[in-house]
Amino acid sequence: MSNVDHDDNHDDAAFAAGGGPRVLSVSVASPRVRTIQVVRPGPADASYLNATSKGLAVTLKHFARNFFLPLRSKESRAKAGAPVDEKWKNEIETVQYPEEKVTYPERFRGLHRLTLRDDGAVRCVACMCCPTVCPAHCITIVPEESDSKGVEKRPAIFEIDELRCIACGLCVEACPCDAIRMDTGEHAKPVEDRSDAIETLQTMMARGVKSIAKQGGAGPTWRETAPGKHPHDFNR
Amino acid sequence: MSDTASPGPAHATAPAPAPAPAAAHPPINLVIDGQAVTVPAGTNVLEAAKLVGTDISAFCYHPGLKVVAQCRQCLVTIEKNPKLQPSCQQTCGEGMVVHTKDAASTLARQQMLEFTLVNHPVDCPICDKAGECTLQKLYFENDNADSRIDTDKVHKAKAVDLGPTIVLDQERCILCSRCIRVCDEVAGQHQLEFSQRGDHEVLGTAPGAQLDNAYSLNTVDVCPVGALTSKDFRFTMRAWELDATPSVCNGCATGCNIEIQHKNGRAWRLVPRHNADVNEYWMCDEGRLTYHDLREERLAGATVDGLPSGWDRALKVASERIISALALAPTSVGVVLSAAHSNEDNFALAKLAKAWGAQVFVAVRPLVPARADGKLRVADVNPNAGGVMAIALALGLQTKPAHELADASVKVVVMLGDLLPNLGAAATSKLKELELIAIAAHERGPVAGARVALPAAAWAETSGTVTNAKGHVQRMHPAFPPPGQALAGWEAVVRLAQATGVKLVWAHARDVFKDMTAAVPAWSQLTWVREARPLALRFAGSRG
Repeated sequence: MSNVDHDDNHDDAAFAAGGGPRVLSVSVASPRVRTIQVVRPGPADASYLNATSKGLAVTLKHFARNFFLPLRSKESRAKAGAPVDEKWKNEIETVQYPEEKVTYPERFRGLHRLTLRDDGAVRCVACMCCPTVCPAHCITIVPEESDSKGVEKRPAIFEIDELRCIACGLCVEACPCDAIRMDTGEHAKPVEDRSDAIETLQTMMARGVKSIAKQGGAGPTWRETAPGKHPHDFNR
Repeated sequence: MSDTASPGPAHATAPAPAPAPAAAHPPINLVIDGQAVTVPAGTNVLEAAKLVGTDISAFCYHPGLKVVAQCRQCLVTIEKNPKLQPSCQQTCGEGMVVHTKDAASTLARQQMLEFTLVNHPVDCPICDKAGECTLQKLYFENDNADSRIDTDKVHKAKAVDLGPTIVLDQERCILCSRCIRVCDEVAGQHQLEFSQRGDHEVLGTAPGAQLDNAYSLNTVDVCPVGALTSKDFRFTMRAWELDATPSVCNGCATGCNIEIQHKNGRAWRLVPRHNADVNEYWMCDEGRLTYHDLREERLAGATVDGLPSGWDRALKVASERIISALALAPTSVGVVLSAAHSNEDNFALAKLAKAWGAQVFVAVRPLVPARADGKLRVADVNPNAGGVMAIALALGLQTKPAHELADASVKVVVMLGDLLPNLGAAATSKLKELELIAIAAHERGPVAGARVALPAAAWAETSGTVTNAKGHVQRMHPAFPPPGQALAGWEAVVRLAQATGVKLVWAHARDVFKDMTAAVPAWSQLTWVREARPLALRFAGSRG
């Protein structure tokens, strides 16, 4: 209660200092009931004519600029202080979607894809790192034994529920084989049925590219690293 | 008979047993990493270090096998000793001062690890052992550096078919010889051997021979890397995805202590759990594969005349039959106890039989003499024959073997389990005239033709105890829920009792257990432990 009282006192002090609306009268029985002067906008402001015409002027300015800029010559553009090369398009705020699309940043995480080996087989070896790390539990993998003795294991089923996916990219981080990527730049498409949002092994391989990444990445060898950096370099 | 129903600490890896101290030898005092420790005479330094909380992980040492000291991964410094010593082979001496974390031994172990990794393929993504691999664990803990070898690795054969149960990856093998010793010492058959030399040394069988013995899958457990993988488990699940629940194998009367490793409501593999009195560190292949039966021919809902019905209707039909038979003569009802069900299930049904005054039979699987090998496998393939007999004796019931059912003057049979021994054609046709009320986990054999079948939980799905051939009463913990409408066997018995107007009131297997231990004098000292929560193997470290 004391806090409330304190705030009230503070308000009263503000009123007394003339920081609020003008108080016309104060009730004697309960001092918090006051009559104050209401300030209403005059006819000029209430009609919004000024504000509307100001906004329209901004719109017209941009329209004129966007309309005439492509028509003007290089010299004329230079004279007007506009870019002379193709960058003038960047000056135009409107994007003509869908003919024109905004280019996404390089690291935009779009629909998943599964990369391929040289022979077109899927690179994924069903190590289960991505379903383990996935915070949304949207990845389902059923492994099977493959005929290839070098690889041995591959996914029989690889499904990602794009409705559940939160596009965090942890699956890509976790993958030890560069088998899954989210660099397609595609959105998850709108679907009429929930089951249509499930990406399968086939759809993700169709989007796939070949990858020749080495397991663990192709970093520098120990001879190329600076001397003394290696914790085991005791013989040097 | 002094065993408890608890299988020791539910999750903890059982401590390795120190060799039994001879009475003539007093305990040994030594200092490890500045901490004084007293151990029985004959204990090795590696086991003694575990007592002060230092895990000197090693590849070739296994507490259940002979010491060979060939991986050199457990080297420690011992004062007044000019060279580093393998702690697995070094027995503790009085006044010994051991350092496990000093620069010399740490460096030596790091170098050994790097040496071991020179030709290891590091194909962890496709290796079944990943997540429970000793090499992986040691690498992350001690080394964690890039390889300094810029020559090609020596490649060896992958996916070698060693026999009916095992696939070998020779590249991954780090030549610790644990598997060879398991075959020699546990199975008693020398089927694995090293050949070639140096970095071309490989594990394998003799030309044309196979790794084929009753304990072969133990080699997969002890393998510290993923060189030996089980054909049964291969590529089905990753180790870290599984949860482990302690239980007891129901394959035979030995009652090996096991872990049920499960996920998504089903078991994926059974692995042995250490118990010095029963199975040490091992179990047989046949027992290991019994988990498949948990998913086959299961009875998930009550049936009447082979057609699905709810519990209520099934109980109504069953109780009508039983009550009218009891009114005729109590002995026209036969109750069949099962040596394949837990003590609790059998105790509940035995109590009910006593309340009815019914005739009591016991269904036991016939002995398989070919199974007995003087090790873990015995001829008696019933997990709980001893328990059923002890219960019947304690309750003062006259039991008959189940094959006398056809000769007895019974009209209604209440049967636990799905097992009736081979009765012969005439008896089988007489059985068809009986009103059979089965409480079973599987819909097969007599259960398929039963008047009423009530679904029961299988051994992995419910709390209970079984009594092994030595009389140990061992506890099973539920790993996952039973399918459909199935209930624990004793719970189905309680429902049947209530439907027939017999007052049996138990709310939990623990209550059945308490009444049972009060009734059976030999079990009066047993205690009930809380149900073990599944242990997520993701956080359990390496195995093997």
